[in-house]
Amino acid sequence: MSSFMLRRRASRGGSWQLLCPNPEAKSRFFPNLLFSTLSESQHRNVNQPSNPQNLRNPIERRNILDSGISSFSHNTSKTPSGSLQNPTFSSSIFVSGSKPLALSSGNAASGKNISGCGVLGLPTVKSLYSGRGRFGLVCLFGTQAAVEPSTCDGLTVDRIIASEWPILDEYESDWKSHAAAIAQSIHLIKKRLQWKKLLVRLDMLSAEVNKPDLWNDPVHAGKISREHGSLLGKMKEVQTFERELLEHVDMVKLAREENDTELESESMNALLNMRRTSKEKEIEALLAGEQDPCSCYIEVQAGAGGTESNDWAAMVMQMYKMWAQRRGYNMTLVDEMPGEIAGIKRATIKVDGEYAFGYAKAEVGVHRLVRISPFDSNKRRHTSFAAVAVTPILGDASEHVQINESDLRIERFRSGGAGGQHANTTDSAVRIVHIPTGITATCQNERSQHQNKASAMAVIQSRVDQLEMARQNKMNAQYSQSLTDITWGSQIRSYVLQPYRMVKDLRTNYEVSDPDSVLEGDLDGFILSYLSACLDKDEDDN
Amino acid sequence: MKLSFSPRLSPFLMPSLFTNLHRSVCSASSIPPPPTTPKPQTPLFLRPPTHSATTSDLQKWHDWANTLASSVGSTFVDLDNGPDSTLLRRELKWLMEDAIEETKNVDNNDGSVRLRVEIEELYMLWKQRVEERRPFQYVVGCEHWRDLVLCVEEGVLIPRPETELIVDLVGDAVLGNEGLREGLWADLGTGSGAIAIGIARVLGSGGRVIATDLSPTAVGVAAFNVQRYGLQDIVELRQGSWFGPLKDVEGKLSGFVSNPPYIPSDNIAGLQAEVGRHEPRVALDGGVNGMDDLLHLCKGAAFMLKPGGFFAFETNGEEQCKYLVEYMENDAGGSFCNLNIVADFAGINRFVTGFRR
Repeated sequence: MSSFMLRRRASRGGSWQLLCPNPEAKSRFFPNLLFSTLSESQHRNVNQPSNPQNLRNPIERRNILDSGISSFSHNTSKTPSGSLQNPTFSSSIFVSGSKPLALSSGNAASGKNISGCGVLGLPTVKSLYSGRGRFGLVCLFGTQAAVEPSTCDGLTVDRIIASEWPILDEYESDWKSHAAAIAQSIHLIKKRLQWKKLLVRLDMLSAEVNKPDLWNDPVHAGKISREHGSLLGKMKEVQTFERELLEHVDMVKLAREENDTELESESMNALLNMRRTSKEKEIEALLAGEQDPCSCYIEVQAGAGGTESNDWAAMVMQMYKMWAQRRGYNMTLVDEMPGEIAGIKRATIKVDGEYAFGYAKAEVGVHRLVRISPFDSNKRRHTSFAAVAVTPILGDASEHVQINESDLRIERFRSGGAGGQHANTTDSAVRIVHIPTGITATCQNERSQHQNKASAMAVIQSRVDQLEMARQNKMNAQYSQSLTDITWGSQIRSYVLQPYRMVKDLRTNYEVSDPDSVLEGDLDGFILSYLSACLDKDEDDN
Repeated sequence: MKLSFSPRLSPFLMPSLFTNLHRSVCSASSIPPPPTTPKPQTPLFLRPPTHSATTSDLQKWHDWANTLASSVGSTFVDLDNGPDSTLLRRELKWLMEDAIEETKNVDNNDGSVRLRVEIEELYMLWKQRVEERRPFQYVVGCEHWRDLVLCVEEGVLIPRPETELIVDLVGDAVLGNEGLREGLWADLGTGSGAIAIGIARVLGSGGRVIATDLSPTAVGVAAFNVQRYGLQDIVELRQGSWFGPLKDVEGKLSGFVSNPPYIPSDNIAGLQAEVGRHEPRVALDGGVNGMDDLLHLCKGAAFMLKPGGFFAFETNGEEQCKYLVEYMENDAGGSFCNLNIVADFAGINRFVTGFRR
């Protein structure tokens, strides 16, 4: 975790202006705004100044603002009278947001808005219009980035960060310290989610989702609407977290004004809880990739070098088994080819659990060991290599690449003799070759041939899927993840047992002087520092 | 009848005792079947975990067993293509899975584990496995076959991995052929009931399967397995030799499958110890050239199957496959069509399939 603290401190005052491109705009356009936790009811593209024409008359605008307020906590007692009481406001937005084009068809005003977007070349559906009658306000938007939530006195998350309030220990009951810590987490979370990219992508997806012919291709449509839902959920979660922070800050201030100690301690506790959960959210945000929540296969292959290298491969495999156990993942051995004297030539395990792939993907590459080999009678120092591959297991069958039966060659592995009734064996290992790609998978760990075949087939499926994803990511460079750039052969980490003791990640320079703990599966430091470094790199690239 | 756990029985006496038993049943097949089939033994994994052992005792047993497995090396492979140490060690892992209530609890705090057999018996079982070459499936009392766990015991042929494919062949045959899927099928010489249960699950609720076996032990074990998979309404068991119990369904079968004994008698003596010493000879020995029963079944297929009916037989390999196809094409008077030879995953031509004209 120490790396996070550093990162957070380093990022303070860094790119916050970028995230808040127009911090003054809000107050200029909405001078009568008391609470600006209204991001959901207004939307402006990040790159475009607020467009007041979108609000067709001041009354409507007032309604929008008011209804935004009404979704606010009841404790902010200054709600203007006559506001639309619409407690389900925020959720209804998301529902309507999924098909704004359909809603706006036949509406000349909104049609204009949309074409206006087109002229500006923005891929956003950001028309804002209100309906009539008892349906009240209908709000359409793609992104909601521009107007940030703020407290009554205009304090925003970015301003909290900019204030550089000292962050004290958790037990110090100082709301400013809590708020600053949470704000920094939010900043980090946004950064890790690639907030700007996410909003742009969400706009694109919203436009796509609203195309009337979307469902002509149900597979594509399913994919699009799933991604749309997932990004929307992430965005909403962060925004809710932001709003919550500011609400609690308001509450603390209010409580102090009115000398309400009970309310004050309540709000202080709420802030403290937020501060604690924000740590989890930071880590969750590291794993925002589409396949990150999947289970995965981890394959370890020994490099050249015989027994010493086979032993190293077995140590690496053991490290992952123990890591999986520590994380509470379910681990099953799929395939193992033992070395002649010790260790393994190759092995594959299946790691089942939430975010198994998200974490394990950080381990892809070549791992190097330097030690005095116990297999060398002359006690010389040896360098060995083991390669690690990680493949996500897509949870959704509809995303699988269709594999033709005729493209497969299925072989009984290590069989000999007449077989059939002649032989009694519990060995029913099966090897499957996917002929077009040359991908091979073996499984001998199950107790029936049928199950071995099914296991090997599942490995083939996920590798073929991974190939296809890599191909698509190349095509879709706009939203590709830098992780896919890693080649399987590149050296990522060095483990030195003699003459000194150290494990060092060559990508992040993260290092640990206790190789034993690492080999016992204490890998999270390496994994998290790598994942956050990856996102830093992405951010820098922009 | 826990013969397998009795230490006083000589390992060589045990299987021959079984074989003799079944040979006598075999020769007496003309007399009506006994009113009740023998009650099958409960496989290890289904026994209640009423025993316990300390972790250290279990560890001691495991170390001992592991050493015994390692001492084998490739001796058995060289001798008769038997198991090597790697395979034995994997079996040891599976034995633990079956015998210990939950393998994960091995290192729990109170230092004991719950077992489905006494630890002394574990010693005995592993000794039988390695020293007497008792098949692993008889040791644990079950065989994992396709997605099934079938109970087996001495006197019943252990279903082979190759045979799994017959179920796939049936699956292909009934695909888009509702007439076949909802018809009456037969599995002759069902043994543990493997094929019958496998195809019953492929056919679904519309189909019906009659499974026969000469051996009352086999019928008892098959009935147990059918029951375990809740298929008693679909699979009917009948005891008797080949077509003997099927008089009432002549010409009515939509499908007919069998894995009959096909090993030439001369080869029996040289079989892998697990097979030759422990499995029932009646399920293996197919006569001088191994074709006695296959040819009998072929002849029967012509009058048992209705037109359009499907059959699949397992054979000893290429030679028997070719012989059968030739026989059916030339000598069976054109009763069959679409004859096909299908290889197993080891690349050996293993199955003959076809349809009744």
